[in-house]
Amino acid sequence: MFLMIVGMTIITTSILINQISKNTFYSNNPNLDVVVGSKGSPLQLVLSSIHHVDIPTGNISYKDAKKIMKHPAIKIGIPISLGDNFQNYRIVGTDKRFLNLYKTSLNSGSIWNKPMQAVIGHNVAKTTQLKIEKFFVGSHGLVDTGDIHSEQPYKVIGILNKTGTVVDNLILTSLESVWNLHSHQNKLEKNIKKLEVTALLLKYKNKTSAFSFPRLINKNTNLQAASPSFEISKLLKLTGAAHNVSNYLSLLIVSLSLIGILFTLLNNINDRKYDLAILRTLGFTRKKIFSLILIEGMAIAFVGSVIGLILGVLCFISIQYLSLFGTNVIIGQFEFVSELLIMWLIVMITSFLTCIIPCTIVYKRNIRSILLNN
Amino acid sequence: MLICENILFSVDGHKLISGINLNIQSQKDLLITGPSGIGKTSFLSILCGLQKPTQGNVIYNDINLYDMSENKIDDFRGKELGIVFQNFNLINSFTIKQNLDIANTVSKQNNNDQLYDLLQRVGLAEKSHLQVSKLSVGEKQRLAVARAFIGKPKWIFCDEPTSSLDNKNTDIIINLIKEESLRCKASLILITHDTRVQSILNFSQVLKMGEML
Repeated sequence: MFLMIVGMTIITTSILINQISKNTFYSNNPNLDVVVGSKGSPLQLVLSSIHHVDIPTGNISYKDAKKIMKHPAIKIGIPISLGDNFQNYRIVGTDKRFLNLYKTSLNSGSIWNKPMQAVIGHNVAKTTQLKIEKFFVGSHGLVDTGDIHSEQPYKVIGILNKTGTVVDNLILTSLESVWNLHSHQNKLEKNIKKLEVTALLLKYKNKTSAFSFPRLINKNTNLQAASPSFEISKLLKLTGAAHNVSNYLSLLIVSLSLIGILFTLLNNINDRKYDLAILRTLGFTRKKIFSLILIEGMAIAFVGSVIGLILGVLCFISIQYLSLFGTNVIIGQFEFVSELLIMWLIVMITSFLTCIIPCTIVYKRNIRSILLNN
Repeated sequence: MLICENILFSVDGHKLISGINLNIQSQKDLLITGPSGIGKTSFLSILCGLQKPTQGNVIYNDINLYDMSENKIDDFRGKELGIVFQNFNLINSFTIKQNLDIANTVSKQNNNDQLYDLLQRVGLAEKSHLQVSKLSVGEKQRLAVARAFIGKPKWIFCDEPTSSLDNKNTDIIINLIKEESLRCKASLILITHDTRVQSILNFSQVLKMGEML
């Protein structure tokens, strides 16, 4: 049973992390069509701007960004500015439409209406204990290094409800707040030529622009356009190989456990052949004894697999819980995954077929010879 | 009624039992005797449905035992027959009560009061929680007898039930078998060499193996 528990735990955790990570990658992207940023790795651009897990490729001029946002192919354009953090939670300068993208709602307070006001995500509030009207100072960079902007604290004026997306881990503020902090002059920079943003989050008016618009940006500007869904699919294909390896390992362990069950049953029926023969003499039919052995084997498989499933879910929840500390990775809410049910059914069916072997051996035994030999 | 027709049993081509014919009426008893190795236990096994004869029929009240499927033979044995084996054939890892509970379940009587009464009569009621492995030979034999009578079978088969016992325990066991047979209105078919047993029980028929009846 131990091997069954171990195998099922590993395979359950692996399936949950993989499936829910995939779902989270997709839910972190609120149907954005393209991300525009500075030249570099398109995957890095997508990961840093949408999933907030990588460092940005660089900054782009706000003047160029405004031009792009006014392009006829673009329906919605939302700029974001990254660069600071508070206790490893990223501070994102953006406009209020960002909140609509992720269909957020306020748990308490309100949205910012002037610089240096911030709205914080659910996990940020939970971990940092920040509340409405409290002040905090951001640190420069995306990791808490201690280099703080002590001269201009932020004030929390809103706390968002849990969304199960990356927004839960973000501190949102106006673009002006970020510009203000980084102007080094303690006043809002009014010269648009000097203003910069990290990336633009864009939606097309028409999906046919998906072919022409990125090419236009990549070839004719010093910016790059990256498709979030395309880049994430590529990433999942790469990580899929690692997921497959862990699945094969789990399957190997589960197979070993089935062999273990088979040998346990064979040993059991051998040790108990005399007792089973006595049951036959008392009137237990072959069918009943067949059923007894089968139930015994299936009970081991069932209990082991269910314990493994529960432990796998607990492992996943533990991983999710730990990810709240100092990282910006949300693995995602636990949700029942149909792949788990299918896998469990396969394990049960395979266990059943494995148990048939010792049951058949018992079924065919001659009771008299066993009693005589005892 | 139990009818045996031309029972023949061979082992590795060697005829162990040959041409036995019997007709035993209900509530009548049969004694089986004969030298060692003549096939008495094998014959008993044939009558109990534990060993199919090479030839011949075993018919209980117009039911030909070996015309039924194995499952039906097992079921018939559980409900209609009670067997006391020479080496008891108890489940050593179970308690007294558990050994009887199994027989109770199979017989589908599921009468716990009857079970307790039976334990009282065989003198094991206060030890019902003890594991069989902890019992004396006499106690094991009494348990084997009690188990055979669970479900009030119509046919009781005993294979040398007193071979391991001293005189005192022999008397106890034989009287127990006699009383329970009468209580159940069962026919008793018994293998024994013990002349004391033969004198206590009045057999209506005797089968001397090696001789045709």
